[in-house]
Parts: sequence; structure tokens; C-alpha cells
Amino acid sequence: MKKIIELSVNGESAEFLVEPQETLLEVLRDHMGLTGTKEGCGTGECGSCTVLVGDRPILSCLTPAVECHKQDIITIEGIGEGNDLSPVQQAFVDCGAIQCGFCTPGMVLSTEVLLKENPNPQEKDIYKALEGNLCRCTGYNKIIEAVHKASKQMVAEQE
Amino acid sequence: MENKLDYVGQRVPRKDGPAKVTGRAKYTVDVQLPGMLVGRILRSPHPHAKILNIDVSRAKRLKGVKAVITSDDTIGVKHAFVDTPRYPADEPTIAKDRVLFVGEAVAAVAATHADVAEKALGLIQVDYEPLPTVFDVEEAMQPGAPEVNPGDPKVKEPLANIAGKTESGWGDIEAGFAQADYVRKDRFESHLRTHGYLEPQATVASYEPDGKLNVWTSSQGPFFKRAKLAQTLGLPFSRVRVHKAYVGGGFGGKVDLFYHEFCAALLSMKTGRPVKIEASREEIFTAYRHGEPLIIEIKTGVKNDGTLVAQQFRIINKSGAYRGTGVVVIFLAWGFIIGAYRVPNFKYEGYAVYTNNPPRTAQRGHGCPQVRFAVESQLDMIAEKLGIDPIEIRLKNARQTGEILPNGDDVNNCGLTECIEKAAEHTQFNKKYGRSRPASASSGPVRRGIGIGVSSYITGSLIYPNSSSTMVKMNDDGTVTLLTGALDIGQGAETILCQIVAEELKLHMEDIEIIAADTETTPVDIGSWISGNAFVTGNAVRVASTEVREKLLSIAAEELEASLEDLVLKDKHVQVAGSPSRNLSYQRLVALSIQKRDGDPIMGEGHWRTVRGEPYHPSLATTKGRWSDSYAFGAQVAEVEVDIETGLARLVRAVTVHDCGFPINPTLVEGQMDGQVSMALGHAFMEEVLMKEGRTLNPSWLDYRMPTIHNTAKSEVIDVITEQYEIGRPYRTKEVGEGYVSGILAAIANAVYDAVGVRLHTTPFTPERILKGLGKIK
Repeated sequence: MKKIIELSVNGESAEFLVEPQETLLEVLRDHMGLTGTKEGCGTGECGSCTVLVGDRPILSCLTPAVECHKQDIITIEGIGEGNDLSPVQQAFVDCGAIQCGFCTPGMVLSTEVLLKENPNPQEKDIYKALEGNLCRCTGYNKIIEAVHKASKQMVAEQE
Repeated sequence: MENKLDYVGQRVPRKDGPAKVTGRAKYTVDVQLPGMLVGRILRSPHPHAKILNIDVSRAKRLKGVKAVITSDDTIGVKHAFVDTPRYPADEPTIAKDRVLFVGEAVAAVAATHADVAEKALGLIQVDYEPLPTVFDVEEAMQPGAPEVNPGDPKVKEPLANIAGKTESGWGDIEAGFAQADYVRKDRFESHLRTHGYLEPQATVASYEPDGKLNVWTSSQGPFFKRAKLAQTLGLPFSRVRVHKAYVGGGFGGKVDLFYHEFCAALLSMKTGRPVKIEASREEIFTAYRHGEPLIIEIKTGVKNDGTLVAQQFRIINKSGAYRGTGVVVIFLAWGFIIGAYRVPNFKYEGYAVYTNNPPRTAQRGHGCPQVRFAVESQLDMIAEKLGIDPIEIRLKNARQTGEILPNGDDVNNCGLTECIEKAAEHTQFNKKYGRSRPASASSGPVRRGIGIGVSSYITGSLIYPNSSSTMVKMNDDGTVTLLTGALDIGQGAETILCQIVAEELKLHMEDIEIIAADTETTPVDIGSWISGNAFVTGNAVRVASTEVREKLLSIAAEELEASLEDLVLKDKHVQVAGSPSRNLSYQRLVALSIQKRDGDPIMGEGHWRTVRGEPYHPSLATTKGRWSDSYAFGAQVAEVEVDIETGLARLVRAVTVHDCGFPINPTLVEGQMDGQVSMALGHAFMEEVLMKEGRTLNPSWLDYRMPTIHNTAKSEVIDVITEQYEIGRPYRTKEVGEGYVSGILAAIANAVYDAVGVRLHTTPFTPERILKGLGKIK
């Protein structure tokens, strides 16, 4: 039986009529047209579908939409302000941490959470935070470089 | 003209970076059209069977089903990556009376929703009669083996199931071995790996009432797809438009025409509605095309000083049920052997062999990692036997600038010797090699080793569509728009092409708009799959930009009453050198051109192709004919750690010293190298598609292990620059995206041997194989 749920997505609230088996990913992509969130496998293995629910990164392809009722959700479209990129987004662009770009939204969101919780992460913290996000293009080297760069930038801005 | 480079050779950020980092970049999977239906494909569960009957009546009656297609709905045209008199197309678009592998399409459905389409597949009744099967290539080659593809004309051979054969050679092979002081024979074998592109295979097709088919598809080049769709659907090329979409990775796996592309198009033609088919990850693992494992037998003769005198190869491609690129890789494997070292007496034979496995396809490096693993491993064995170090034996045989290859190709600039020397020096190779030592004082059972591998690779070749054309047009405001058929699959094609325009016209990157990869609005392009983008399309862009520059200069010379040689381009102005106040803006020059040059708003057009004197691609059968204008070279060093108790090995450091001619964007070049190092370590230690009787046993990323961030290897990249980019002149910038997945694989194999004394002849280098080599398990 369909259910009505209320979601706050990138700060805007809306109601959706969803099937109980529908995933948050389907609601974001198919109901809302927020196609920045990607589906690479549909089984929680690649991290392309990462979004933030209440500031925590989750796999939206495995999360039933009904479980997100009245939750605050941030997708890649909610990062940065207006036309300004966030320091994490900017660092990914500057460092060449993007190639095909399909993993990028998930990588950026996982990095945003990491740097919010740990502004000055060590290599092992970066590994832990991004271990669920597969990238086939970069070998991760420039992604790690971008995380360090964003971290430096954000620490400098706070000082 | 001064040659100060402001854009080319610089670390310019990707043009598409902001779109990709904000989620605005639209991939095929993101395309939504009004009234769009969902398509699904019914695939064969049998590796070989006769189709006795297909009953679609129940599926058609299901509410929400809009069309069901089988081979009866097609025009029956076969297709294939290669379609020549020797190798005529052998693949049906949908299986007719026989299925040859698990996953072959037998029917497809379009419905209003995915769950309806999936339910409809279950209602299609197909009666099969299983037929004899063969999966192992060497069994398939035995006379009397089950015939996999009986309808297909084959190369005349006493062996069975031969899909194709390549033979080549020069010198006198027997005399060569007779002169040798030492001869050895080895056999190497590689395994099945998948591409691992993150974006699933997907197509949206929308057939319009006026007879136009619009297609968005995750591919590696829209023009090849247009040709194959038009041929198999019976449409004129001009009635098929393949639109641009961002591509979430290809690595060779998105070149061919696939069932989902053909079926989405035909279903849209049947229903008059847009149809989207997106493959599931499990479907990609089980029914799509993976890479091409090779069996490589190699016999090599050398003099005591390490000089190669004779080399003989017998290569077998573990092909699937259709040729696919199987007859290409047995040609390419030859080509990736001949580039690196001089061998005066040479004999080669390569076989592509039909089996009842799914067809295979190109995979980054396309044969190169497999052959370099074999050649470089054996070279180290030879060097050890002769008491020569691995660096010296490679330097002794390395090709040099000015050599002409046996096929007539000109090695016009070759940095291989410098690559090997720099790699050795940078890693202090000879201080570390040959002394299997503890990784550190407290590392216990962990041993560290170092190894080197060398590769060479082509820079584009002649395969349909053979050429790249581009247009550069000035806009009224003095900015430009670049039109190119090139498709950016992540390598940065759009960025480097804009850098070339920026350099030739001294424009800022943000003053260049790029319209790309649309078969309707952009000129033809070779595609992003034969390592020719920077060279072929890049030169076409350079030519088009040159025409624009010359027009700007010519009008400016007239208006400023200056001679052409005195004019310089700067900041969207043409000015007189030494008196910058005498200048005209591009904006003004466009207006003047329209006024005074018969309305010409200043446009330039450029075309390029490789091996311009040659009409065709070299023969796949005999290798005769020129192949490529330019060869890239590289030497790569791996340092690995191997645990002698668990057999676990890992790559801890990779050094790539490469001759890519001139790096147009060093950041993008490094990105290609890092990605190739990562893919090679996956090849070496982690990844394997496991199949049993044509069925995939591990169809997910949990069971097929691709490198995660925990497997990041330290990757250092050193450029050996063998030519300079000069404004207004053709260049031979070389490939960077494929060859370097190869030397590093060989280097890893040699480093494992250095670490623990285990010589592995088969990939991947699993703990089991290493422990067996150490004699710790049987």
C-alpha cells in the first residue's frame, strides 16, 4: 500500500506518495529529478548513491524512502551555495580528482562529512571515510590529494 | 611567431569539473523523456541450444506491456565490430534459431514500468534443445570439438572453431635460433577481468513520427554506434542521431553495438514512444563483454650479451561465441610486441577461437598488458640466466629514434632509452634488485621486491570512422565555439581540445564553448577508443584554429597597415608587436570580416587522420600495411611487498617514466597513469571474473574485488618529453590512456619474483599461487 512521506531535501520540504519498497534513491531521481545522485550497482557496493540523512552518509539505493519520513536529506545538488562550489568541490576540480565523474557526487558527500567531523584528517581517516566509494578512473591518488587540499583550505578559513 | 605556451602544457582544470562536482552533468542514465517506457531483455540461460519455439502471447497480454520483440521483428542483418570479406559479421541482433552463450538476447519487452517489464519477461515461453558445448579454447581447437558457430565461414585450418588467425614474421627464424647462445620457451596465461565502469550500460531511444531515431547511449564514440544502429535497423545513417551524454567510464567496454542499444531503438520504433534500457550490474557481469585473456607461448633466442636474435610467438585468444574484437586482439598483440625491442628474426601466429562463453571485447590496453607480462617476465628470466641485470638487457634491445619498424612505421621519436634510465635512477633499481630483503627490520615475514616492465603503444589507427574533423567558429563577442565529435569519457578530451584552441588563438579557457559528440551537429570523430584523441582530434582542432588565426591576422594586417610577421595575438586582441596600442579586438575583427570578406564571420575547419599515406588499416591476417604515425614508450618500476606466510602481496610504489611526446595537460596525464596503475594492481592481485560452463559465478562488486581506496598505490609519474608543442605546427603527441596499464603489470610480476623468488606464469598473483611457488602448499 502506498504511503505519504514528508522529506526535507536540500532544505526544501515536500510530500511524496511512495510504495513501501521504493528506495530513497528512486524518490530523489525519479520523483524529484535530482539525478546528481547515481546508481552504480543498486546493491550497496559502490557508494555512487551516497546522500546525507541528518548529516550521516547513507546508501540511498538500500534505504527505503519510508524510513526517511521527516528527515533532513542533503544531496549533491545541496552542496555549495548558488554558483559557488564548496571547498571540497573546488578541491576536487583543482586537483584533477575527477575523471568520468560518476563516483564524484558520492565521493564529495563522503568527504564533506569527514571534514566536518575531522577537519584535519590523517591518511587512515580518509581511507576509512571513503572506503565505501568505488572509483575506477583515478586510482584514488588525486582524490586523496583533493581531500587534503580541502582540509587545508577549510582549516585556513576558520583561523 | 613567439612560442610561449600559456594553455597547452599547463595544469588547466577540467572544463567539465564544475558540472561533474555539482551533479549537473547528465549521463545516459539521467535522461528522462515524456512518456518514456522501460525496456528489458530476455536472455538465454543456456550456453548453446537450439531455439525450438518462442511464445510471446502471454507477455503481450500483460497490462502495461507496449511491445515485445523477437528476431522475427528484425531485418535479420548481422553485425560485428569487424565486418570484412575474411571476417564477415557473425552476430544476430537478436538470436534466431540458436543461442551460443548464456546471456544472448532472445526477446525484449517495453512496458510502462520496470516491474511490469520484468514480469513480462517471465511470461515469454522459450523452448530450447540444449546442444553440445565447449568452453576451454584449447579443447575447442581440437578437431572433433563441438562446433560453436556452425553458420559462420571460417579461416581454413585443420584446427576446429578458428574464428580468426593472424600470421606475421620477418628474417629467418630458424637461422636466428641457430645463432643464439641461449634459447628458452615459456608459456604465460592471463585471466578474465571486467572493465568496472561505474555507470551501467544504458540507452534511451526515441523514434519520432518523421522517421528520425534519437539515441542517447553510454558509449565510447557516437559515430560508430550510429553506423551500427543504422545498418541493423535498416535506416539511413542520417536518420539516426546519437546525442551527447556524459559517460561514466568505458575502458574499452562500451565500444561495440549491444543488445540493449538495438532493442531500445527497435522497441521505440515499434511503440512510437521513448524507451530506456539500463542494464543491472548483475547483467553486466553475467551477459556483457569482458576483456580478452590470452595464452601466450614465447620462444626467445639471445646472444650471451643479452642481444635478442630471434623470437617466436603463438598466441590464443580465449574468445567467446562471436568474434567480437577477438580477431583484432590477435593482431594487436603482435603490434604491442614489436614496438619496444629490436628482434631481427621473428615469427608470430595468433588464433581467435570460438567457445560457448559470452563474446569478449576490448579492454584498456587491448592485448598489451597480456603480452608485456609475458615478454618482460621472460626477459628477466633470460637476464638472470645470463648474469645481466634487468636494466642492461632492456637498454641493449630498446628501440631508438629513427628506426623503421618491420611494418614500415617510423619511430620518429623514441624516448625509451631515457625512460629506462630514468626509471632505474629514480628508484635506485640496481641497488635494490636481487636481494630479497625484509621490508623493514620489524617486518617479519614480509619481503620487498622491485621489478621493471617496458611497453610501447600506438597513437590512433585507421578504424571506422577513420578521421576526425572539427570546426572553430568565432562569435560576435570575440569568443569561440568549438564543434567536435569527440566524446569525453573521463579522460579529459574536451579539456585538452579547448586548451589547443586557447593556445592557438590566445583565448581564455572560459571564452571557449564546446559542442561535442553529437552525430547531427558535430563533425565526424574517430572516437575515444583507439588512443588517438589527443593526436588525431587534437591536430584537427589545431588546423581549424590555425585557419581562424590566419583570418584574424589577415584582416588585422590590412586594417592596422602592418605586416603579418609583426602581429601578435594577445588577450582577445591582435596587436602590433612593440606597439600594443595599435590593436584590434577579436570582436571588432569579426565585424570587419563580415563587412569586408563577403560576410565571413570567421570560421575554421580542420581534418586529421593517422598514417595519411595509407588507404586502409593494416591486414588483420598478415599485419601488412602501416599501422600508426606515432608510438608512445614507457618504463615502469614496481615495488611490492609479499608476505611469505600468507602469500598476500601488494603494490607499494609505482614509478611510471613515460614518453608521451608532449603532455598537453600534465594533471590529466597523471590521472591516466594513476588510473592505469590502479587497474594493473587489480589485474595482478585482486580481480577475476570466475566462470563455470559459460556462467559467471561472482556477478557483483562484493565478489569481484576492484581496488578500493585501501588499495591505493603510491604512483609517481615522470615525463620524458620528446617533442615540443609549437603553435601552428602539426605535432605527434602520443597516447597516454592505455599503454601504461601494461609495463606496470609486468613490473609487478618481476617484483614478486625479486621479493620471494616465485616466477608466476599466470595472472592473477593470488596468495594460493604464491604459496604454491614457495612450496608451502600443494
